[in-house]
Amino acid sequence: MKNLFISAAFVVAALSMSSCKKDDDTTPTSTTGTVEINMAHRWGNSTTNFLLNMELVHPMTNDTLTFTTFKYYVSNIKFKKADGTWYTHPESYFLVDLSTSGSEILSIPNVPIGEYTDMEYTMGVDSLQNVAGAQTGALAVSNNMFWSWNSGYIMVKAEGTSPNSGSGSFAFHLGGFMGTNNVVTTNSVNFIGNSLTITGGKTSEVHMIVNPAKLWHSSAPLATSSSIMMPGATAKTMATDFYNGIMFDHIHE
Amino acid sequence: MNNANSPLNDRGDNFFRMKHFLLFSLSLFLLISCAKEKIEEYDGWGFYKPSHFPEPHYKFEKNNLTRARFDLGRDLFYDPILSSDSTISCAKCHAQTHGFADHNVNFSLGVNNSIGKRNSPALSNLAWYPNFMWDGGINHIETFSFAPITNPIEMHETMSNVVAKLNASSYYKDKFKKAYGNPTVTDQNLLKALAQFMALMISAESKYDNYVLGKTTFSAAEKNGLQLFRTHCASCHTEPLTSSFGFANNGLDSDFTDDLGRGLVTQDPNDNGKFRIPSLRNVSLTYPYMHDGRFFTLSQVLDHYSNGIVQSSTLDPSLGIGFNFTTQEKQDIITFLNTLTDQNYLANPYLSEKKK
Repeated sequence: MKNLFISAAFVVAALSMSSCKKDDDTTPTSTTGTVEINMAHRWGNSTTNFLLNMELVHPMTNDTLTFTTFKYYVSNIKFKKADGTWYTHPESYFLVDLSTSGSEILSIPNVPIGEYTDMEYTMGVDSLQNVAGAQTGALAVSNNMFWSWNSGYIMVKAEGTSPNSGSGSFAFHLGGFMGTNNVVTTNSVNFIGNSLTITGGKTSEVHMIVNPAKLWHSSAPLATSSSIMMPGATAKTMATDFYNGIMFDHIHE
Repeated sequence: MNNANSPLNDRGDNFFRMKHFLLFSLSLFLLISCAKEKIEEYDGWGFYKPSHFPEPHYKFEKNNLTRARFDLGRDLFYDPILSSDSTISCAKCHAQTHGFADHNVNFSLGVNNSIGKRNSPALSNLAWYPNFMWDGGINHIETFSFAPITNPIEMHETMSNVVAKLNASSYYKDKFKKAYGNPTVTDQNLLKALAQFMALMISAESKYDNYVLGKTTFSAAEKNGLQLFRTHCASCHTEPLTSSFGFANNGLDSDFTDDLGRGLVTQDPNDNGKFRIPSLRNVSLTYPYMHDGRFFTLSQVLDHYSNGIVQSSTLDPSLGIGFNFTTQEKQDIITFLNTLTDQNYLANPYLSEKKK
């Protein structure tokens, strides 16, 4: 009986593994390709690279800042075909973390071949996922991007040091998914005359420019405000200024 | 009991993804043979909606209830491994013998004897709560445990560390494999297992419940107490769960700078000084009372509602200037409140610490 049990369990395991493999198959076939959205980080004007642990001067507030953490969510990526139909990538949640190399490349497999004229993406995490319980992957609470005491995702986390801050440091935890405090922003990109060509089994690249200096586009310098830890009007201004400052750069096929 | 206690669920999500009929039959055979050997284990265990309760808020969506997951959650609830120095378990401040409140202290001690400013609330019927904590800041039973684990004045631990510690434990790797088919511990599975244990904390067998269900009778004093309760208290302490799960300023203070309560979460000044209307189940055991544990006896609580109401702009209008209860009325209300003690809950073996 015990032997039968073990061998039967083995068959179950083997069969379930093979059936799972079929379900989870993500290898691009000839009918789909991969899009890689490359988030290039620049400071202020587009010629200065933005890196952690690098002293930077803000072009508008003149604050001197050295970032030690910069993380943000991008989600719900869609592509529009020339015929007006959309391809929506299911369950696409990406955590860009400047301390994790490679996280700035958002890889989207299984995009049907064709010519795409537009892209849509959401900065932040949609309200549904903020109230959906324990998540995994980019949305896992162990990424330290979820408020423990006031449920919801920290959608942008910027921390570092600055001589202009009274405390010598700054920490902006920006989020909010409800009512007037909702920071979640959907951005559209038109590929401006070009189109994104998806070829079977190949990878096409969309290059974006992300400028963290935009956080202070219309917000007070660090001497006035060096910390935000919860949703609210000031968090919304900072987050949406940052989100709206993200620019499409070019397509690379 | 519904199908939630079916041993079929023990095989988890992957079971349902299998497509082959042969495989299905084979597995079914195995399950039946397993279930036959362990049938007693399923007796009395499971999630159910007491007939006089409303529909639960939490329905185990994306967290199929299984015995292995519940058992894992139960182990975690009683294990101080969740805290940074392995001294504080959930059960340390939520003891079954005290209706899952702390051991009659106003403020619980966290790691390094840290102390907070709110009383550890009694826990029961958590699957009916739309949100959690005295200020309602936590919106889901599955993300609840993240708060005490990471709070510096409670367990003072990081989720990554907890996951690493559990991944280094052969005991837990085995438990996670049984629960989720994979020995690798993830924070998601950890939180979901704890949620299963918490959601099965069902208290519905007090004398009050039996009275409502027509299974027992009340004394004259209990009846009078219930009548007074229904007149003065039940608009907030809604039956049968004895909470509307709303938030109210119940006239304790007029200055809320020390703790804004609900206002901290909503950032609406109209919510300052409001706290969760607590459930009163097992209330005679869960003292001290109020969000800051300022009252140690039900007598003090009744005195407060009788003639201790402090006026302020966010005071709940139903409290007015207090109810001016007579001594007899107070005594009868307390006699009624004692009927909310649920001995079966306090002794429920499935909710007790399991010896490993």
